[in-house]
Amino acid sequence: MRNGGRARLLLVTLIVTSLFLITLDLRGVKVIDGFKQGSQTIMSPFQRAGSAVLSPVKSFFSDVTHLGRTRNQIEKLQAENANLKSKLINRKNADAQLKQLKGILDLAGTAGYKIVSARVISHGSSQSFSQTVTIDIGSNAGIKKNMTVLSQYGIAGVVKDVYPTTALIQLASDPGFRIGARIAGTQQIGILTGRGTRSAGLQLLDNSTTVKEGDILLSRGSIANRPFVPGVPLGYVTSVDNSAGAVAQTATIHYYTNFSTLGVVAVVVSGSSSNPGDALVPAKPRVTPIPTVTVFVTPSPSPTK
Amino acid sequence: MLTRQFSIAVPIFLTIYVIQEAFVSQIRLPGGGFSILLIFALTWAVLSETEVAAVIGFAAGFLMDLSQTAAGPFGQWTLIMLLAGYAISYIGYGDDNVQSNAIGIVFFVVIANLLVEIAYVASGALLGVPFGSFLQIVITLFGMSIWAILISPILLPIFTRLHAVIFDSRSAL
Repeated sequence: MRNGGRARLLLVTLIVTSLFLITLDLRGVKVIDGFKQGSQTIMSPFQRAGSAVLSPVKSFFSDVTHLGRTRNQIEKLQAENANLKSKLINRKNADAQLKQLKGILDLAGTAGYKIVSARVISHGSSQSFSQTVTIDIGSNAGIKKNMTVLSQYGIAGVVKDVYPTTALIQLASDPGFRIGARIAGTQQIGILTGRGTRSAGLQLLDNSTTVKEGDILLSRGSIANRPFVPGVPLGYVTSVDNSAGAVAQTATIHYYTNFSTLGVVAVVVSGSSSNPGDALVPAKPRVTPIPTVTVFVTPSPSPTK
Repeated sequence: MLTRQFSIAVPIFLTIYVIQEAFVSQIRLPGGGFSILLIFALTWAVLSETEVAAVIGFAAGFLMDLSQTAAGPFGQWTLIMLLAGYAISYIGYGDDNVQSNAIGIVFFVVIANLLVEIAYVASGALLGVPFGSFLQIVITLFGMSIWAILISPILLPIFTRLHAVIFDSRSAL
């Protein structure tokens, strides 16, 4: 009986403590932020070590899952892989990161963004249903909350939390991610929402405008370029919902960025002085012409024996 | 007595938290993957008496809230894990069919793992945390349960042995 009473008292105390913590956090009390910042500062060296150790294998399962969908790509990569076998594994990783970085620099250079590049040191756990990554730079490198994060192909996400040496990035695939989007070549605007995968939902704001498959979406930009700078490629329309009763048209978007293979990203610390407009619209892939041979045969007047 | 046991248990919790955050989370597993800390806490809760299980759940939940990837408000995991730890122990403690049977423990842990995640989504939805589409949530929950079924039997001998060493019980399987 006495033990039961003690257990009940303990349980009530712990429940009250939990509710107290939730209340403090929802009211924005800084003590809670301090807890998280402290733990992140302690964890970041471990995460760097883990990232270095698991770097060659961490995308293994992701690659296996996409095996069927990317068969052609795999065949192409296998051919490339034969050439790369002679190189060291570390060099291979460095090359991949260099390629991503080059893509980002091209993107940022064209638009005139001032960026700080960063390595992804940790992918967020899915246990909380959020899509995040941690990068190896933070407030010491001038990173602030609500800055745009780019990959080599376009939008990667937005800075959600900043710590002295690391920062937490909310990926564009996160269900809580929202961004104002503009259809390239037009002034049609809408809101893009993450869905937890590489596809996103687009809700157009004006019911008189239309969207079609293949339309490219760019970020519309925010006031003072935060959280989003204008002109960043987001993705392209894969399907359009033409339900008769809908107030405004909706569509499904495929992001340019592959979030499961992010290695290097860039944080936009200041946008360009002018809107880059459609300058960053990715070039359409060129179709290599396949030569065909046409043979004309004229039958002879008399049959051959 | 409990002070000595908890002082030994704390470094174990911290080690598992570091393993989860620095290594397990790095591997992009299909279907949402698994949480080694969650499986560990639930296993220990099955093997412990109610008040110890509540403290174990509280500690594990607190560490899960400290994780930078926790989407909800600080304290949400703490509350859910505290209640889960207490409930699991209340149902399973003293029942030899559960405690002396490896399959029973794995079953309990897997079911508890699923219920805890559902509770997290449900309470998160009430608090306004975005979790994505219903289909995406169902896929993730299913994936996490499959991973829990696969991982729990592998880790069970280690976790039960650690529990036996610290709490001087005969629960090592």
